[in-house]
Order: sequence, then structure tokens, then C-alpha cells
Amino acid sequence: MYSAEISRANPTLFVFLLDQSASMQDQIGSGEGQRKCDVVADALNRLLSELAIKCAKEEGVRDYFYVSVFGYGGSGARPALSGPLAGRDLVPLSEIAASPARLEPRTKKVPDGAGGLVEQEVKFPTWVDPVASGGTPMCNALTKAQSVASRWLNDHPACFPPVVLNLTDGEANDGDPAIPAEAVRQLASADGPVLLFNLHVSSDKSPPIIFPDSDVALPNQYARQLFNISSTLPDQMRTYAQQQGIAVSDGTRGFVFNADITSIVQFLDIGTRASDLR
Amino acid sequence: MRVYPSTFHLPKRGNSFQEYEDAFWVGPDDDGNGEIGSLRVAVADGASSSMLAGRWARRLVKIFGSAKGVTRTRADFLAAYREAAYSWDGEVREYKTDREKRGVPIEWYEEPGLAKGAYATILVVEFSDGRPGYPRRWKAAAIGDSCLFQVRGESLCSCFPISDVTGFSYQPPLLPSRVAEDDVVLRHVCLKSGRWEQGDHFYIATDALAAWFLRSWQAEERPWAILRDLDTEAGLDFATWVDQQRDLGEMHDDDTTLVRIDT
Repeated sequence: MYSAEISRANPTLFVFLLDQSASMQDQIGSGEGQRKCDVVADALNRLLSELAIKCAKEEGVRDYFYVSVFGYGGSGARPALSGPLAGRDLVPLSEIAASPARLEPRTKKVPDGAGGLVEQEVKFPTWVDPVASGGTPMCNALTKAQSVASRWLNDHPACFPPVVLNLTDGEANDGDPAIPAEAVRQLASADGPVLLFNLHVSSDKSPPIIFPDSDVALPNQYARQLFNISSTLPDQMRTYAQQQGIAVSDGTRGFVFNADITSIVQFLDIGTRASDLR
Repeated sequence: MRVYPSTFHLPKRGNSFQEYEDAFWVGPDDDGNGEIGSLRVAVADGASSSMLAGRWARRLVKIFGSAKGVTRTRADFLAAYREAAYSWDGEVREYKTDREKRGVPIEWYEEPGLAKGAYATILVVEFSDGRPGYPRRWKAAAIGDSCLFQVRGESLCSCFPISDVTGFSYQPPLLPSRVAEDDVVLRHVCLKSGRWEQGDHFYIATDALAAWFLRSWQAEERPWAILRDLDTEAGLDFATWVDQQRDLGEMHDDDTTLVRIDT
């Protein structure tokens, strides 16, 4: 399981679900007082950016992945990409890379080659903007993800299983998300069941937690619920998590609490990994 | 010295031959009288998750294939690597200039990969006749998981640098285009030498085919029986056979390269 080659001939699907409910106005418990809606929008923009960079080759981005982005708030879930891709619910990665809504200049610190750091200007692409309004129809969003993944699997029965990533504060108000989450996880390609991961942003001031194997240390009911609906990490992903210094076990799940989840992009193999000799 | 090299290559499914990121080089040293004094073969596998990996692999096989001595000492291997890496920035500059001229400048998603550099495995093998009265020798040097197999009759005599199929992974050691520290490179260089006899067959392959070979051999099969006949009247053509193995799940869908040396 989870060993199918990801290629242009056999691409896979990423579905991102972005909580855009009113509670996302609140500040995250850790960090520098950012709003939760800013944190998840930034996380999603960085995830899309990392995916595009990972698949960039000479003169283009290869379509190893197709991407769906749904925002949920108010009455239901709807396509959430802005700019030229607005309204699209399934977009090949090359189009994602070619059509951000904006490219904003940002500075980042990079090694100066003499042991120090120097500020360098980089272009940061943006596809989704922070939104916080209305209720939290998470069940509706998960059902939408199930529908998109189901269609995808009909057309790509042998693909590496689609990954559904839900970015939320966990406060669903349209029912018990465990039920549609189970329906998502029951979908499967010949290579294994669909993976459902969750990024929980919370106002709780507990320390960040990344890829736990138990809900014991989680600070509230929403965190525990999101942990329990998350898939366990497949073997290969656990190995990569371990290489990044994360303690893992057979029960490690695709769940993080108030922490960065961008690393999951690096958990997916698209061929020989480029890493420095040590 | 009578040796007969044949080369085979096929890109990953869905990719064109222009997107193939392995590379190979076969170079006879002609003594001026039509006799081949030695033969050098180099194969490299550009890491698919790096930018300009195919160009870096081609640069490596050209430099390592042309350089004498790289299979003899680690210091000579390091010298060839330095030559490749120190001239890489110039190639990247030319690439960027060419893109500008063609009106397709570097995009935001390419910049991090270009800054990080390219990565590839390298395996170079040198065959020589040896002095009169002495056995014929081969010498090989490698970093990464491109492999050499030596077959005599119906026996596998040598595997290098990997001899067990569990030795393959998505993270083999790779030569980076950004100059790595000498001691780090030297730590990863593998050297091996052996004798060869007329009638031996050598198979030099990048990882997808090398892993298939070892898995087959470890299952007590004779993988060389298939490779020996490729592109002959008795066997399948390379592309058809690789496609079959990919369909059967017996071979990773990856750029696939084989250099066969019949002696």
C-alpha cells in the first residue's frame, strides 16, 4: 500500500478544505497574535507553493498532482481559489503555479556563504485570502471532498491515494464530522485508502503538537475529535517524519495542533529525492 | 581488446525523451591503430526532484567518462567532481540567459530549485586489457545506486556498489552541483576492481533496472538471460520489455538506462 508511483501518467489528488467560519477571526493561542484565518490561509498558500516548487522542472511544473481547494463558512463549502482560478474545483498543479492571484515580494533570511545570514527578496504567491464569516459547515466540506475524491478515483483507480487536508479550528456546527470523515477514509484506490489529515488552529495556549500517536496530550475536545478522524501516517511518511526529528510510532496520525504542516508535501515521493551528502 | 557495448534507455512514462534525466557515456581509447586499449562507461541518474538534473547527469558522465584515473583513487574521483561542480554555475547562467532570450524567463517556482542545485548518482567503469601475461581488469567508482553486474556463464560474479535489493531507496547518496566539502564526498565514494575474461557480460544500469536485476537474482532467477537477448532476434526490444515490467509492477516507473558490455 501507498507505493504507487506518482507521475504525470499516474497523478494523484490533493483536496484542501479551508475553514472560513466566523470563529477563525479569533487569535491563535501560540505565536504572535495572528488570527486563525490568517494562519490557515498562509499555511495553504505555502503548501501550494511547496507543491509547485517540488514539481518544477525545466520550463514548467509537471502535473504530478491535481488540486481542489474548498472554503467552508456560512451555508456550505465552495471553491476557494481566487484570481484567475476562481470558481475552479479541480486544477492541475501547472495551472496553480502559473496563476496565483498575486505574487507578493517578501524577504527571507538565507545563508550568506560566510556563516551569517542575509536578507533576500523572494516572490510569495497567494491563491487564497483570509476569510472569516458565518458558521462552520465542516461536514458539508468533508462530503464535498468525498465527492471530488470519488470522481477522481473513478478516473484514476491505480493512483497513489488522494490526500485530503482540512485546515480548521475544529468547531463544526453542521453535525458530527466523524461520519463524513469516515466516508472519505473509506474511499480507496488500488494502492490504499484516501488519507485524511487535519491542521488544527486553536486559541488554546497549549504548546504546538505535531503528528501525535495519541489524543492524551491534546488540550480540548476539538483537537481530540480532529485527531480521531485523521488517518494514520503510512510507513514511508512515518520514516520521513522521523528523519525530520519527529518521534513516531505505528499509531502516528496526520494531525498537527497549532503547528506547521507544510512538511507533508515532503512526505510524498515523486522520484529520487535530492538531498545533500552528509 | 574486444568488447561490444550496447546502450538502451527509456524515459519515465508520460515523459518525452527530451525529459529523460539519466545519462550515459561510452568512450573507447583508440591507440591510433584501430585497437581499443581500454573502454570507459559512465552512467548517471539525475534526481527527479531537482532542477536541471538531466543537464547535471550529462555533465557528470562526460567529465567522469573522459577523465583517466577516476576509478583508481578517491583523489582522482574528487578532482573530476570538482571540475564538474566548479563549472556548473556557468551552465546555469547560460541556461538563464537562454531563457531570457527566448522570452520565457525563470519563474518564481523555479528559483528555489535552481538555487538548491542539481543532484545525480554517478557510476564509472573502466575496462582494460592488462599487461601481457596479466589478467584483464575492470575498475569502478560510484556514488549512489547506479549499479554494475558482471556475469560469467550462468553465474553472477560481481555486483557493485549495491548487492542486495533492500539497498535501494528514494534517498540514495547523490553528487550535488553545489560544491560539497571534500571529506563529505570522499566518505561516500565506493571503489572496486576485478578481473574479467573474454566471454563475460557486464550490465551497467540505473536504479530501476538494477533493483529489478537484484530482485530477480535473489529470487534465484537469471535476469541476465533477458538482458543478454534484448534487441536481438532472440529477444524483445528494450522499450517493450521495460513497459511490460512496469505493467507487471516488477520495475519502478522511472527513467531507465542500461549499458551492456559483451566481451
